[in-house]
Amino acid sequence: MESVEKIVSLLEEKFGAQRESLAKWDACVVIAKENLHAAVKFLKNDAPAKMEMLLDAAGIDYLTYPNHEGPRFAVSYAFKSMSTVGARVRLKVLVSEADLKVPTLTDLYASANWLEREVFDQFGILFEGHPDLRRILNHCEFVGHPLRKDYPAQKRQWLSTSDYLVPELEKRLESKGYKVIERSEEINPVDEEFLEGSRK
Amino acid sequence: MIVLDPNGEKLNLMALNVGPTHPATHHCVRLLTALDGETIVAGVHEIGFMHRGFEKMAERGTWQQVIPYTDRLNYCSAMMNNIAFCRTVENMFGIEIPERNKVLRVIVNELSRINDHFICVAAAFQDLGGTTPFMYAFNPREEIMLIWEKLTGARLTNSFARIGGLYRDSYNGFEEDVLAACKSVEKALKDLHACLDRNRIFLDRTVGIGKISAERAISYGWTGPVLRATGVASDLRKDEPYYDYETYDWEVVVGTQGDANDRLQVRLAEIEESVKIVRQALKRLAPGPVDIVDPRIRVPAHQMAYQDMEGLIGRFKSVYEGIRVPQGEYYCGTECANGELGFTIIADGSGHPYRIKARSPSFAHVSAFAEMVEGLTLSDSMAILPGLNMIAGELDR
Repeated sequence: MESVEKIVSLLEEKFGAQRESLAKWDACVVIAKENLHAAVKFLKNDAPAKMEMLLDAAGIDYLTYPNHEGPRFAVSYAFKSMSTVGARVRLKVLVSEADLKVPTLTDLYASANWLEREVFDQFGILFEGHPDLRRILNHCEFVGHPLRKDYPAQKRQWLSTSDYLVPELEKRLESKGYKVIERSEEINPVDEEFLEGSRK
Repeated sequence: MIVLDPNGEKLNLMALNVGPTHPATHHCVRLLTALDGETIVAGVHEIGFMHRGFEKMAERGTWQQVIPYTDRLNYCSAMMNNIAFCRTVENMFGIEIPERNKVLRVIVNELSRINDHFICVAAAFQDLGGTTPFMYAFNPREEIMLIWEKLTGARLTNSFARIGGLYRDSYNGFEEDVLAACKSVEKALKDLHACLDRNRIFLDRTVGIGKISAERAISYGWTGPVLRATGVASDLRKDEPYYDYETYDWEVVVGTQGDANDRLQVRLAEIEESVKIVRQALKRLAPGPVDIVDPRIRVPAHQMAYQDMEGLIGRFKSVYEGIRVPQGEYYCGTECANGELGFTIIADGSGHPYRIKARSPSFAHVSAFAEMVEGLTLSDSMAILPGLNMIAGELDR
């Protein structure tokens, strides 16, 4: 597609992106972490085909990938344009094990909130500036990141308590301009262990 | 909890927990609300109660062994997920499936869509207290389920599509069964519209409730009927056509308001369009092969294994080692009943998937739920949730 080709060359020009040689069937560029936010902002607002929708963020662990060189993790973002029908592009950032931080896209796309939480949950990649980086699919007491290649699939964990969620509710109230003065008795359990489990 | 509202007034809010198992949440989803009387002031929701590790399991088998797992994503239209996954892998191989297979997949896709939409509308009505439409919708659905039984041998998790083929060709009398099902679907649609369109109670409960703007919906990554209800004519069957969808005569249905009522009406109108497509597809259904002939991709027929050395080798290699998908990365989205079901696939050239990430439509839809219900009453929240057609199977994977 013409506009997608234009976007790819613009990304290469402006943000030093590189075409992903492994993506043989769709347009995908690898971009440095520092440029990710600016590049996505460009994709959303100024690109020849504006990418209004963030469809997916997929974490990848290259630990056992044959002949892989470079950082262990990657996050692949899939974008779709609503104004230019059929235009899609993928952006990939490489994340090394030593520095698991990636800038968040939550200020640009509402969908980024849960998508990034999922990547954090499954791979342990930390999204800087995310307003609510908690586990989403796995249990709040879960230890480790199950989609990493070195997490054994058969491993079992003992999970005891449900997520407390009240601190999140209070945070939500505060963000709407309310001020919480007092928690009510019935939702303020005295059992410290219960609280500890849910706050991890 | 005692709070000061933005005007400095003291309020006593009640924290009320809805779910994870609640009749109106259908599956497991938990909503913690702060209630002022009956109005939801703030809400946070939690998912993951049905997380089964689809992606981790998919890495452990061969490529074909992923297909039964995809059934369990959106189990209300299981075969659509099979087809979406197989289409992605077929694109990676760069193979073209035979004409009869394409037409059969279109028929199966559209009948699944009808099923899925019927469940959604029926359940939404049931949640608001209307049991009659539920029965109207489930009669034709049962007819389609009987077709599934004959076609695939299973009712719910069919695992019908294969990479480069289908499990088997259709049975004798398939066309007549589908035509009869189309007729009952149309009759049920009339009955449903009679129940819904001018029903005062239903309209009071759904019109103007849970409105979302097109911009916000796009930002949340909404796709499918819920996005079209906001007035965005976005349908992958038209935008990025596959299986010759562009050559069928049908319309993309859009709503105007983006409220709970629109989301259900769009679904009912889409059923009509699907029936149109199915009728046209039946006319195109000409005899021919359904599988491609390539033992490296589609396992040779069973009788070949007993008569032919190459057939035996083909079966053995395909079952034990798995088919070898070319090394690379790919994202491909397919229009399923709920919206765009996408697979990000990382292949390392071996017989096993290296990584498969499913992009499920429900995940995007449900992420907006807490924001949508704020400012509404608690009972309104349960009028919104079924319209989003949350399917925990694909939401939690």
